Amino acid sequence: MKQIYDLVIIGAGAAGMAAALEAKKYQISVLVLDEQSEVGGQIYRSVRTTQNLRPETYELLGADYQHGQTLENAFRKAGIEFLSGAAVWQVDPDRAVHFLRNGKSLQVGVRRLLVATGAMERPVPIPGWTLPGVMGAAAADVLLKSSGAVPSGRVVLSGSGPLLWLAASRLVEAEVEILAILETINFSSYLKALPYLPQALRAVEYLLKGLRLKRQVSRAGIPVFSGIQNLRAEGTQRLETVCFTHRGQSRKFELETLLLHEGIVPNTQLTRQLGCEHSWNKLQRYWHPLLDEWGNTSVEGVAVAGDGGIVAGALTAEASGHLAALEIACQLGAITKNQRDSASKSYRKAIRHHQAVRPFLEHLYPPNPETLVPPDDATLVCRCEEVSAAQIRQAVEWGALDLSQMKAFTRCGMGPCQGRMCALTVAEIVANTQGKSAQEVGFFRGRPPLKPITLGQLAGIAEC
Amino acid sequence: MLKRIQSSKSKKITIFFEEKQIAAYEGESVAAALLCSGVKHIRTAPVSGTSRAPYCWMGVCFECLLEIDGQPNLQSCLIPVQEGMKIRRHALNDGDSA
Amino acid sequence: MNTADILVIGGGVIGAAVAYGLTERGAQVTLLDQGGSAPNASRGNFGLVWVQGKGLGMPRYAQWTLEAAQTWPKFSADLLEETGIDVDYQQPGGFEVCLGEEEFSLRKAELEQLRQETANCVANSVGIDKCEMLNSRNMQELIPEMRLGDFVSGASFSTLDGHLNPLLLLSALTAAIKKSGTSYYPDQQVESISFRNDCFDVQTTTERFSAKKVVLACGLGIKTLASQIGLEIPIHPQRGQILVTERTLPLLAQPFVTLRQTVEGSFMIGASHEDVGLDCGTTLDEIRRLARHAVQVFPELSKLQMVRCWGALRILTPDSKPIYVESENCPGAFVVTSHSGITLAPLHASRISHWIAEGTTPEGFEQFHSRRFDA
Repeated sequence: MKQIYDLVIIGAGAAGMAAALEAKKYQISVLVLDEQSEVGGQIYRSVRTTQNLRPETYELLGADYQHGQTLENAFRKAGIEFLSGAAVWQVDPDRAVHFLRNGKSLQVGVRRLLVATGAMERPVPIPGWTLPGVMGAAAADVLLKSSGAVPSGRVVLSGSGPLLWLAASRLVEAEVEILAILETINFSSYLKALPYLPQALRAVEYLLKGLRLKRQVSRAGIPVFSGIQNLRAEGTQRLETVCFTHRGQSRKFELETLLLHEGIVPNTQLTRQLGCEHSWNKLQRYWHPLLDEWGNTSVEGVAVAGDGGIVAGALTAEASGHLAALEIACQLGAITKNQRDSASKSYRKAIRHHQAVRPFLEHLYPPNPETLVPPDDATLVCRCEEVSAAQIRQAVEWGALDLSQMKAFTRCGMGPCQGRMCALTVAEIVANTQGKSAQEVGFFRGRPPLKPITLGQLAGIAEC
Repeated sequence: MLKRIQSSKSKKITIFFEEKQIAAYEGESVAAALLCSGVKHIRTAPVSGTSRAPYCWMGVCFECLLEIDGQPNLQSCLIPVQEGMKIRRHALNDGDSA
Repeated sequence: MNTADILVIGGGVIGAAVAYGLTERGAQVTLLDQGGSAPNASRGNFGLVWVQGKGLGMPRYAQWTLEAAQTWPKFSADLLEETGIDVDYQQPGGFEVCLGEEEFSLRKAELEQLRQETANCVANSVGIDKCEMLNSRNMQELIPEMRLGDFVSGASFSTLDGHLNPLLLLSALTAAIKKSGTSYYPDQQVESISFRNDCFDVQTTTERFSAKKVVLACGLGIKTLASQIGLEIPIHPQRGQILVTERTLPLLAQPFVTLRQTVEGSFMIGASHEDVGLDCGTTLDEIRRLARHAVQVFPELSKLQMVRCWGALRILTPDSKPIYVESENCPGAFVVTSHSGITLAPLHASRISHWIAEGTTPEGFEQFHSRRFDA
């Protein structure tokens, strides 16, 4: 007989931890699952281990990261039931949550499901991006948190967005040799963002932090090339050179590591599979589940909190976790609507505050057009099945006008990452080739499993 | 490919990669430990056989798949090292070692 | 208004094969496909080119299937030459595995019955002679790289059986069609067909087409459209769930009815049969059953990872055999439907397109008429 929880939270990052803490106040039975070995999500990744085992790194990561320790501490002290290393691979329509842990598939029943699976770094397909030595800039930051490691040798960062500068400044502090920062935005982005500056000033700390990061990088004497194009990575067994065009001139650097970043996008794998309605963020060009003000999705009993709903940063995620938990507590009859509403006020206020900066940032840092639709035909779009931009374009010629047809024609999205790394790019290319918008083209149909599971594990699941 | 920031409190342990003994530090991920020890790639792409290393470090890209203690296809960027762990590349992903 | 000699409705593997064959014959063809949201059986297909055991109760179908299998090597070579797309067709022989002694004797009896039914037909006796029962030891000898599970009692084995990549077949056919200059509309939902002055008028949600002949090859969509041209086509959907594993080393050359290894190295496991209407979803119960079956046949598969699973609809007639029929009320309107669209593709591209283009009914074709279901 499987155990049934009032609330199962998938993801123990800022949103998931906050939601669990809130729900716990109302004697709701809560289980939190996360595929990682400890709580923290990506923003506060491995915060406890870092504090305990890598104090130097903990120091380097600064106050924003250290805030995660407060959450982690509260979470641990509240005695919340938490399973680490639990990869959810399937959620049944009747709300059985199946997850893999220590090589076995286990399941629990759930009355309300809160998806707090966060966001991922937008993949940046360029020629040569599959070479060892090329990775995400936010990925490098996660690596620093999770393992206290940084790239050795010479590094170039390329792209745009706040996390590019955050990663750069942390690497500067870690005394990594950075040759250059290549910015894919140019002056016109500043003009587009300018009208949103007054609103952004309401959350001026974000702007000041941004300026501080940039100043830190420029004080380190790192050259910044703005408005670069035609970025490509080259090398035989691993990355050796990065080439790009700047002001009409071809340039290159020899290097060991290239860090790419074009913003982050919600993880929609689970909400897709659950059949939630999604809508399209035109500026940042990503799909996100359609949510009401409490985080409820279009599917009854399924809510989303944090960056998996709308990308807005750690503090918004935390507040949205509280809101979702309050709503769920209310749905389960643990609190009244009035209690819910009055408890929600401070969180709503916080969200309003933190979101003030978003329109400015979203206009300033739109994803690079060359990332959305890689101009170089040789660019591998699907890393798993090694499908190139040329093959995608060719398949459109042959009549594959949507993503299921594209998958059928090219196998893109059919490898172990299950389309996480290529779906957005494939949609943009298909749209671009036909003069449509990626929104019209849609998304890969969500099919189980959410995470690969062995046939043995599958066969070994007990009937219930 | 990677280097460690000084970490005064984490204990040195031993893991095995393709039968070879490698030093690692508790609290770091398997993928990071290998790439800090001079291993140049984590897996080879099943289609072309080219070398790959983690791109995302957060469980999305699946470029870090390894066999750990007999269990195949584990996402090694999500799994912390443990004393005596035996790590291998997959049969299909043999390629050149280190 | 768009006009064509022949309008083919349905861009799955059946419609595409017919359109391809018609184009090769010099006809001016227009092909309409419904696009991505359609429950397209070709895309969810398992990829078998299968002969053994087919045709029980209809010798003409056994013969038809056999002819298709014999035509496959040339057909795939032609496609490769024309499009550069290799559909990975291979004919290493195939197994229908039996678990336990009872399944083994049932299978044996079934084949014996087929042998008797087709005894008078020269072509069939060739087909059935290539199919034999193997005990598990003999079977194991043909599969040196993998160990059969203890519960495997044997299999029927036919050297005629093979497999291919159905997705590549669909892209090759589509590529060949487009290359030949056939008008291909990938997103047309047909709403109605009418017949006037020896001409068909086809209305889609956005356009109108007119043609002298029209071929209905649009799977489940046939039912409604056929009734508009005076034909009753009794077809229904049956869901099959399929799961696919990660790639591994090449271990298994021969396809089984229930599992096969693709050229890329992944194992496909399938063959569930459920009546659930148009639901293309998957269920844990079925997926688990498929995994258990696979692990029973080859225990070592237990360590392979499933990376994906899906449900797809087979389009079945009441006796699971094809319907090929021309409307009597509206001559020039043809229905082509079969759940063996992969196996029969070479014949759909040759014999069937010849029939449609020339109007000469092939021998013994009355057996495929839909009137066989009239009560």
